[in-house]
Amino acid sequence: MTQWNQDNIKTAIDCPMTRRRFMKWLTAAGAAAMLPCGFLRSGQAMAAGTVYEGGYDTFRNACPRNCYDTCGMVTHVKDGVAKFVEGAPESTFTNGGLCVKGHSYIRRLYSPDRIKYPMVQQGRGTGNWKRISWDEALTRISEKFIEINEKDGSMLGLALTKYSGNFGITNYGVEGMFSSLGYTTRMVGTPCWPAGIDAQNYDMGNMWCNDPEDMVNARYIILWGVNPAWCSVHTMKYIYEAKRRGAKILCIDPVLTQTAAKADEYWQVRTSEDGALALGMARHILDKGLVDQDWVNQNAVGFAEFADYLNSEVTLEWAAEKSGVPAERIARVAEEFAGNNPATIWIGYGMQRHVNGGASVRAIDALVAMTGNVGKVGGGARYGHLMTWGFNYHAMVQQPPKGVKGYLGPAAKGEFDFTKDQEGPSYSNRTLNINKTARELLNASDPPVRALWVSCKNPLSQDFDRNQLIKAFNKMEMVVVVDQFFNQTVEQADIVLPVTTLFEEWTVNVGYWHYWISLNEQSVKPLYESKSNLEIAAALSKKMNQLKPGSCTFPTEIDTREWLEKEFNSGVYGLFGLNSWQDLKKGMHKAGKHLTAWADGKFGTPSGKYEFKSDLCAEHGFNALPKYVDSRKPYDKLRVLTPHTQFGLHSQFVNLDWMEDFNPKPYVYIHPDTAKARGIADGDTVVVKNKTGSVTIEASLTDNVPTDAILMYEAWFRNNDYNCQNLVDDTSADMGAYKAGAPGVAIHDQFADVTKA
Amino acid sequence: MSTYELPLVLFTVLGQLSIGLVCIAALCRAAAPAGVPQSLFREWSVAGVVLGAGIVASIFHLGHPGGMVRTLANLETAWLSREALTLGIFAALLVTGLFLMRQDKESRALVAATCVAGLAVIFSMGMTYSPPSFPAVNNILPFVFFMITAALLGSGAAAAFTPEHARPLVLRILDTSLIIGLVIYLAVPCIWLSGGEIMKQTGQLWLSSPLFWGRIGIGLALPLVVLWTMKKVPVWLWGLILAGELMGRALFFAGTVHTATNMGGLY
Amino acid sequence: MAKQFGFLVDSDRCVGCFTCAMACKNQYHQEKGVVWRQVYPLTQEIYPHRERAFYSLACNQCEHPACLEVCPVSAYYKREADGIVVHEQDKCIGCGNCIRSCPFGAPKYNPTLKKAEKCSFCWQRIDAGLTPMCVLSCPVDAIAVIDTTEPDAPGLLRDVPGFPRQPSLNPSVRFRLPKQPVVIRREDI
Repeated sequence: MTQWNQDNIKTAIDCPMTRRRFMKWLTAAGAAAMLPCGFLRSGQAMAAGTVYEGGYDTFRNACPRNCYDTCGMVTHVKDGVAKFVEGAPESTFTNGGLCVKGHSYIRRLYSPDRIKYPMVQQGRGTGNWKRISWDEALTRISEKFIEINEKDGSMLGLALTKYSGNFGITNYGVEGMFSSLGYTTRMVGTPCWPAGIDAQNYDMGNMWCNDPEDMVNARYIILWGVNPAWCSVHTMKYIYEAKRRGAKILCIDPVLTQTAAKADEYWQVRTSEDGALALGMARHILDKGLVDQDWVNQNAVGFAEFADYLNSEVTLEWAAEKSGVPAERIARVAEEFAGNNPATIWIGYGMQRHVNGGASVRAIDALVAMTGNVGKVGGGARYGHLMTWGFNYHAMVQQPPKGVKGYLGPAAKGEFDFTKDQEGPSYSNRTLNINKTARELLNASDPPVRALWVSCKNPLSQDFDRNQLIKAFNKMEMVVVVDQFFNQTVEQADIVLPVTTLFEEWTVNVGYWHYWISLNEQSVKPLYESKSNLEIAAALSKKMNQLKPGSCTFPTEIDTREWLEKEFNSGVYGLFGLNSWQDLKKGMHKAGKHLTAWADGKFGTPSGKYEFKSDLCAEHGFNALPKYVDSRKPYDKLRVLTPHTQFGLHSQFVNLDWMEDFNPKPYVYIHPDTAKARGIADGDTVVVKNKTGSVTIEASLTDNVPTDAILMYEAWFRNNDYNCQNLVDDTSADMGAYKAGAPGVAIHDQFADVTKA
Repeated sequence: MSTYELPLVLFTVLGQLSIGLVCIAALCRAAAPAGVPQSLFREWSVAGVVLGAGIVASIFHLGHPGGMVRTLANLETAWLSREALTLGIFAALLVTGLFLMRQDKESRALVAATCVAGLAVIFSMGMTYSPPSFPAVNNILPFVFFMITAALLGSGAAAAFTPEHARPLVLRILDTSLIIGLVIYLAVPCIWLSGGEIMKQTGQLWLSSPLFWGRIGIGLALPLVVLWTMKKVPVWLWGLILAGELMGRALFFAGTVHTATNMGGLY
Repeated sequence: MAKQFGFLVDSDRCVGCFTCAMACKNQYHQEKGVVWRQVYPLTQEIYPHRERAFYSLACNQCEHPACLEVCPVSAYYKREADGIVVHEQDKCIGCGNCIRSCPFGAPKYNPTLKKAEKCSFCWQRIDAGLTPMCVLSCPVDAIAVIDTTEPDAPGLLRDVPGFPRQPSLNPSVRFRLPKQPVVIRREDI
């Protein structure tokens, strides 16, 4: 990078340029460099480009993406320009490093592709965007909202879909903004992890995992359907350390992942037969008398019934047949697992994205519990936790305007909805299942959903049955998207509003895996005309009240730094050993408790014990015992797996030009035998097609995938219409409604066939 | 190398043509029977113009042509600097020679020195283009290739100016160079096939390239047949040889495999 | 020469996450397409599972650097104290000779500047007492700064499959080879 490219960035800040002008300018600069007189201005003018210079102002930021690692970062700023980021050095978890995504943030901030101003699109999907002022954008939006209210007598025609695109706590101000408008329609639930959450709630009374840093103490680690080498890079060092101390690492996955390649042993399990495998191991442990009977007697209920079930309906051979893993291996590992205390299993989210996902997680929980590994340092059935999320949710908890009407009946709540249930009034929001967004938007009536607000989410890349979703969007009278890039959802919007990146706003972040907290400071002034979600809420409120006084209760002027402060309370301070949130300016803090889940043996279940047999689970329509549940019947020839790539977090990051240097295009990964049978060679263009839709894509042949499955990584490429959701229908997972408001979704229970294009 | 590097193709081929013409013309005159007065002026003028064109082409190869004069900065280790130096010397001698010839003051020593300088240029070029990153040509081959080019194009061009008495000599040089070229260019890629991974890839790439077979057919085999049947060098024949050499040089720069392209693979 | 800094490439720990490669862009903001550190997957002849073992490589700070030798304008120099090979871009005329000559593909062409550039071993950071950005960023400690004038740690290799052998240049890089897991494939397919 050259001096004049640095200047570019500065110019971009002081005087925003359009992309075209930016490119023209670059070309001119390039042409100048071609002239022979280039020699004359060698030396001084062409001196060092962007290099480490020292003397930076440093700010604390936190990666707010939906990721295990939720890294704290130190942003190095000079003359108001963010130059580079490092991982927070004081966090033993991050240890000064980030990941490939985290280290691309500077480009994200200064990308010429960013949405810079509010814009309006003349005809969805046309790309015919016109810049408008914030005032005009908010006027158009407010007028629509007021029109909806007048037409329907409520705001239920206005829907919000928001999830994990930005987990900064103050971004719950988006929900707050909606509450301030009255009772609205909310997409509730999560495609991510709800089946497993419910499973752990039935078994233990909460989703709660040990500190990942204590994994070094494990003597046996099973990485079950989880790929930390890509999706939680910072945990890998603890796994390596455990290995160095003598632990055995077993990776169980349908795919030979990068994590599998680093394990001692890898089992290629038949997809969604994890439950059978776990139960087979449990039966063998029972047979061999390796159950930790003391722990079970003291801490669990229902084990006798579970043992009966194992004895009557589970055999090693059955488990081997179901899972594809040889019985001899299952037996050996079962013995090793039971014989090496503490032993732990990390349960990945992919393995519960099935019609039997919750049941599988319960079976694995049972395996960990019966060997006495729950509640121990270095042990545990690790899935995730929300023990550090005790903020005030001030931004989220807003009151509706007086006298507004809403939905009559109970509303579902998401797993991150920490608000207390309201007393008294019978009105509530109308909740729709986020995992069936397309059909729910199409079917909602009385009133229909008329306007959709999208924030921290890219539904057209992440939600299911994409063709239906386009139809649902077409039905909307107005679609407003708040985002940073012109992604596939923005393509279907009427109005897009530019939102700040993590560098341009104040907030605070915690993780659902590690136990650290990080402040997110405003390290540079917001670029162009971008606003944070809170500022957008305030601006919208101002406009709403201008046009119709009293129509929105959200404060019209806010200081985001003050609002950050409002999120803290004595509980958060106590947990993290803080005197004030300002302490976090010096670095991240780690929670002082909760680090070993269920260490005191007091479970959150109705019985207060670990429940091998859960009546609550039965009440909710599932088996009381962690019984085997059949997997989804294939509806096409090959299973389609659409997991995460290391180059993106869902649809984010993959679009950056820096990322394209390492990950230029998508592939479908096919087993060589599967490809050969279809006349497909490495590098061929192929069509993957099923009942939901199709994807045309380049084939990459690898026996990392089984012969009966193909794999594509979910991603949004800026110059490629690739979208794996063309192939994913919205079939629900078994569990999830209890704690996340809606059942999960069977993302990996999809099927298709592939042919040469 | 992945691009054709047209400026380098033109520069090296034209430079070698110029040197070949200078040397072969000088050789013809040295071999001329006593008492046959003749001047090298016409041949050397053509060589000078061609060299000039080559040097102009080379400018387009530099990201910053203004820095051309600084290429002499690393005579200590860089063969490219030495190439620039020897080329400068060769050009200076050539121009001086032409200047003297204009005044009918020829110096045999100067002619000899010019030829030596020309050969030094080709040697430097050979060294410049045989770095360790191209195992197939990290050896004497580039020098040999460049000498063949000089001999082929030099003798082909010289044939146009050659007085009757020297024609057999020029034809013999051309004839021999064509045969040697044919043998070497056919043998070398085949030998590469039995070498290490990068050599093998280079051999495969050359043998599968239309440029390679174009150079063999148009630039070597066909001229040889024509030469044997016609016993003279019509201008179009020289054109064929030049076309073949340009193709061959394009292949040299585009089709010789760099070690870095195979990082992570077996070598 | 007091020291000779180089990189340890621990392919046994490396997870091919590309963090190091991006961390470099984070520090130096190279043009799109210009990559100083690349993560190279090992082919299946070397490691049986496709794209599951890697060498993360940048400039190897050779004892006898080809780039330095062939640069006609002496834009390269080798630091006395630590052997870091520095490219002074202001001197570069963009002849491409270093790019052609380095067997490791370390120097890259910047099409906008029309000059070469390469990994600087973060000498500015080193001089400020910091670690190179790639080494700092690696979440699994799979790359490290080593001094090759000291005896190699046990298990480290100089010549490994997947890396061109260049003893005359003597690249300052040491490797640890990846291990393979016991792979139990499905019996039902």
